[in-house]
Amino acid sequence: MEATFVIQNKLGLHARAASQLAQLAMNFDAKITLYQGEKSAEADSVLALLLLESGQGKEVKVVCEGSDEEGALAAIGQLIAEKFHEQE
Amino acid sequence: MSLDLLFSKDCSKAAVLFNSKKRMLEYLSQVAHQHIPHLSEQAILDSLLAREKLGSTGIGKGVAIPHGRLDGIEQTVAIIVTNREAINFDAIDNRPVDIFVALLVPGNQCEQHLKTLAKIADKLKDKQLCKQLRAVTSDQELYQLMVA
Repeated sequence: MEATFVIQNKLGLHARAASQLAQLAMNFDAKITLYQGEKSAEADSVLALLLLESGQGKEVKVVCEGSDEEGALAAIGQLIAEKFHEQE
Repeated sequence: MSLDLLFSKDCSKAAVLFNSKKRMLEYLSQVAHQHIPHLSEQAILDSLLAREKLGSTGIGKGVAIPHGRLDGIEQTVAIIVTNREAINFDAIDNRPVDIFVALLVPGNQCEQHLKTLAKIADKLKDKQLCKQLRAVTSDQELYQLMVA
């Protein structure tokens, strides 16, 4: 299953945000992939996530495949909506 | 910005030996201070420590990208250091770290910072290159690998 989210926080998918996302992704068995434009990244690789250069306002499609895909997609959507726990 | 504008020979140190996260961050601050002498070693260290407090910059696979935001610099300063032994850095995959790419970023930079991170990620995702980085023993070789 998949969903598209808009990056909300001012700094975008910078190192700390990417690390949080990767750590979250590691908790799930599902294969999680992020797509932005023509680029894609495995969610459990910080280096791959940084290559997306996802700034504030960018749309990111998240695709989760596996037994716990529903939980994974919801958790990632929540992390993005909560601005990776950042103030702005 | 190309990598040869980020890295410099005097900010490339191969095969050093420090045995803790704290000592490594102190060393990175010392190297950075020599490159940007108008900023004190302590100010640089404080910015790196502040960032580590928010979560380790050990991004996995033996690599860490300690960084901090600093007022008083015009452009990002990057430092590459390899440690002869991998040390505990509280990395997200719990693996010890032996490749350190430190970044000192101008205070208000956002878009450019993401571009810089992507440039460095593009370099470090190459397993073969990481192997070479770990193997070299001269600062010059280390620098050449990063900017090639």
